[in-house]
Amino acid sequence: MKTKWKARLRLWGKKRGGRMSGWWFIGSLGEALFFAIVFLIGVFLSAILISWQLMSQSTQPLKVGYGFWLFLGVCLSFAVLGIVGFWYRVLKVVTSDEHREVIGKRGIIPEPLSGSHPMKKPTPVPSIPDVRRFTDSPGARLAYRLPSQIPENGALVALGIFAMAWSAMIAVFVVMAADAYLRSSVPWQLVFLLIPGIYVAIRSARLFFRSFIRTLGIGSTTVEIEDLPLIPGREYRLEVVQYGRLVIKKIAVRLECQEESTYHFGTDLRTERQTVFSQEIASHGRDRIDWGYPLRLECSFCVPEDAMHSFQSKHNAIHWKIVVDGEANRWPSYSRSFPVVVYPSSRLSQAIVAS
Amino acid sequence: MIRLIGLQPTYMPGQTIEFEYRVANIDRGSIVAVECSVCWVTEGKGTEDLGVHFFQRLAGDSLAAIDWSIAQKIACPLPISPVSYEGKLLKISWCVRVRFFLGDGTELMAQQPFYLGMLTREV
Repeated sequence: MKTKWKARLRLWGKKRGGRMSGWWFIGSLGEALFFAIVFLIGVFLSAILISWQLMSQSTQPLKVGYGFWLFLGVCLSFAVLGIVGFWYRVLKVVTSDEHREVIGKRGIIPEPLSGSHPMKKPTPVPSIPDVRRFTDSPGARLAYRLPSQIPENGALVALGIFAMAWSAMIAVFVVMAADAYLRSSVPWQLVFLLIPGIYVAIRSARLFFRSFIRTLGIGSTTVEIEDLPLIPGREYRLEVVQYGRLVIKKIAVRLECQEESTYHFGTDLRTERQTVFSQEIASHGRDRIDWGYPLRLECSFCVPEDAMHSFQSKHNAIHWKIVVDGEANRWPSYSRSFPVVVYPSSRLSQAIVAS
Repeated sequence: MIRLIGLQPTYMPGQTIEFEYRVANIDRGSIVAVECSVCWVTEGKGTEDLGVHFFQRLAGDSLAAIDWSIAQKIACPLPISPVSYEGKLLKISWCVRVRFFLGDGTELMAQQPFYLGMLTREV
């Protein structure tokens, strides 16, 4: 009995993967109490602040200004954080996983059978990404132009923002140092601080412009497709256009299926991806591309008959995409992805009709 | 105890799943609530996701009206997706799940897995 209580009251439970070695009840109760206290503090402070400020005419300890609104905002955020956290923890304890999921999004809730078998229409393609996101851009030759998923573009924007912000900050310090120097007092501490700062500014600006020139030089890639969503077993036409001014050594177009899982590793959130299917659908050898004369690749492909459809849930996904890999003279090799949506196979659709 | 009618392990999307459940060796008066659901769960490397397709909670008057001496039958049309899947990083499994909540705070859970569709592997 003693060891049992010792285990229950242990503060630091060793974490083993997703399992808890501590007593879950104490943990859940502690969390709920914490958020309840945060809520009460928020409400209490808000009440005090409002009553002092608005009710009491004689003593006005705080003037209505930025400070008042800031303090009120902090108090209210405590109250909101507390009430949301409290109810989330309470629901986690008093309801089952399924019940919470249903509360989150109302699903199909048929009544229990009473002799008859009422047939409800199944929901259209649940857990599959919305195809409208992929079909809102019409193509020039084929039906749709696929949205591109180029991770380098995000990095380029982030690098640009960092380079600009850092250079602006350094410029301000340089002006301050120059001003002090003109008034015959050299701020040595600031000067020593500026040396590495200027180095970082030059390196980040250089890196940004190199990435920018690389993006401009290789040029954009567009992919147009005959139809969406894709049904396994059917054939679809595809057109890949590579713009820019460069000599291509090789360009290859692949159809890929990738599994994606997001998980907690300690306090980190990690995402792992694994390609489970890859098929080359077109390739082109050495060729020269110039402004106004892009490289056009036309091909057709077919998603395997027994392929898994696209899938998206909170932490797991199955993505299908068209990947364009290129190698060019004087430029680093590049890879660009164009996601597509695959629906369940026609064989399953026929089974639906038959049933 | 949960029993799928016909002991059919595989269902096609859009087909109706029929199953029944009954409770044994429990004081019927101690049952506070019963939850029955048809759901899919992901297993594997990623954090587990749950999708509830069908959910029914019986409590209060609706629970009192139930005759536990006969099996409770439920039928529900299955969705088109997600179909059952066994990949490298993730697995999608379908199951029928019944939970009994007793007056003393005890929770009893039973589940019966089944396949939706014909897929069992990646691609």
